[in-house]
Amino acid sequence: MSRMINVAYYTFLEMVRNKVLYVLFFFALFIFGIGIAITQMSIGDVVDIISDTGLATIEMFSTVLAIFLGISLVQKELSLKTLHPLLSKPLSRTEYVLGKFFGMIFLIIVEIIFMSLIFLVLLYFYGAPGRLITYIPAIYTIFLQTSTIIAVAVLCSTLTEPTVGAMLTISFYITGATSYNLVYAITHRTSENVAKVINTLRFILPDFSHFNIKDNLVYGKGLEGLQIGFASFYALFIIVIVISLSIIFFNAKEIN
Amino acid sequence: MSKPIELKNVSKTFRHPMKVWDKVEAVKDLSFSMENGEIVGFVGHNGAGKTTAIKMIMGFIWPNSGEIKVNGKDPGDQEVKKTIGFLPERPYFYAQLTGMELLNYFGRLCGIKGSLLKDRSEKLLRRVGIFDDRNRKLSGYSKGMLQRIGLAQALIHDPQLVIMDEPMSGLDPIGRREVKEIIRSLKKEGKSVIFSSHILSDIENLSDRVLIIENGVKKHFGTVSEIIPPDRIRYKIEFDSPNEMKDAAFALFKGIRVVSERFIIDCDDLDDFNTKLSAIVEKGYPVLNAGGVLPSLEEIVFTTENTEVKQ
Ligand SMILES: Nc1ncnc2c1ncn2[C@@H]1O[C@H](COP(=O)(O)OP(=O)(O)OP(=O)(O)O)[C@@H](O)[C@H]1O
Ligand SMILES: [Mg+2]
Repeated sequence: MSRMINVAYYTFLEMVRNKVLYVLFFFALFIFGIGIAITQMSIGDVVDIISDTGLATIEMFSTVLAIFLGISLVQKELSLKTLHPLLSKPLSRTEYVLGKFFGMIFLIIVEIIFMSLIFLVLLYFYGAPGRLITYIPAIYTIFLQTSTIIAVAVLCSTLTEPTVGAMLTISFYITGATSYNLVYAITHRTSENVAKVINTLRFILPDFSHFNIKDNLVYGKGLEGLQIGFASFYALFIIVIVISLSIIFFNAKEIN
Repeated sequence: MSKPIELKNVSKTFRHPMKVWDKVEAVKDLSFSMENGEIVGFVGHNGAGKTTAIKMIMGFIWPNSGEIKVNGKDPGDQEVKKTIGFLPERPYFYAQLTGMELLNYFGRLCGIKGSLLKDRSEKLLRRVGIFDDRNRKLSGYSKGMLQRIGLAQALIHDPQLVIMDEPMSGLDPIGRREVKEIIRSLKKEGKSVIFSSHILSDIENLSDRVLIIENGVKKHFGTVSEIIPPDRIRYKIEFDSPNEMKDAAFALFKGIRVVSERFIIDCDDLDDFNTKLSAIVEKGYPVLNAGGVLPSLEEIVFTTENTEVKQ
């Protein structure tokens, strides 16, 4: 346990000092800025639009971070051979995978808190800082969704090379973000068998709509605690399966 | 007490990096065992299979056949790893961490904490000569400095067995001498050390035994004196000649050569040496130097290679 925490801590330290992080961060700020610029020109409630942009930026930045840092995570170590000295210590491969995963999660938590603070400043500027409280569940589900992406990124990086891994992880994200639309594929003209296939697909494919309580909140439709509970369970389910697979694959992998 | 390292008929093949249908036999039927407290030098040319063998001993990769035991247990075993220090070939560490942080990280993985960890880290950083750079990020370390921090992390938990893949590469002459000193002092502390190199002179005067591997196959394993057979001693006579006797000197034996004004003749064996020496003395040539020379390990390995090339 303490060894795993060590790996997580130093993984975090290594990543937080990475310059790529700051490039991405300034990019995120830039998107925030564009959002604000748009509000100046648009009609509608300014605070609503700021909130939309803010939550979207947090989600986007977290996703990009999860995919790119997640993929480079194990892969970079393999290609640069930093793994050899590490695994020569009394650290099991399982502890290593878990440590890396939690190190990333730690980074994402810090990142989300940081972005939320910027968001809070923006809301304050527009005279509605109290709104942030109502957005906490939405931010929490962004965190859940990002955690599943990190888990998949870890799995991909134990399986294949970085570019392929990044592509697979991005595919996971896109599938998750769009699979809900399969609902619309079934109309009254769809045959029964096709409908069955589509429904099975909907069941198997990752579906990020479970994490999407954002829309409900921004437009103040009220929130169901049940939805948060289910989202938590759903994320945990994906993470447990994906990380278990990562551990199995990594234990069977030759560290050349 | 079980042996630090024991290999029985170990083979490892890789898929060819370019040709999928082809295989690379990196290590073939390798057997050897190491005794407690000895220094074993592991020699072979580039691509001989040293790193592959070491990776199998560390449990990073697995042999296709054969058996490996480290301290009597399977490679990669958690308990075993507590007693092994490992320096990889061309070590590379987390670029964003400082030297001190790296030692803290690795020390904690080995269960060392607090003041003991601090003392050990500082002592080791001094011992490998990078104490002043301890708070610099590793991304700014030179090749030699990485080699040194690599050595420090390998020793952080005071391991009983130290495995090093080319510990002297990337170091300047002073650095090489320092590493040799560290290896010698490890032996004095009763530790077992195995290290690879393709520079034989580094190994010759440091190792208790030498393991020579060529194209994945064990060539020799033994002490330096065992490996250099007595019949490989070369006898040689060097003599001078007054100007008027030079022509006669050339006529003395077949195969005389002159190197910087000295006449040199090689002899087949001890008898030949004695006959030739007395002939030279009889004719009145002043003898400059005469005697037997042991070939160095370098020559032994190169000669075996040359004969293989000719075949
Ligand atoms: N992952 C791999 N895939 C394919 N071939 C490999 C792999 N690793 C090593 N080899 C091959 O196995 C052989 C032995 O390589 P190895 O790295 O063990 O040699 P070495 O003795 O350590 O050489 P050097 O002195 O250059 O470090 C080489 O022919 C090498 O090309
Ligand atoms: Mg090598």
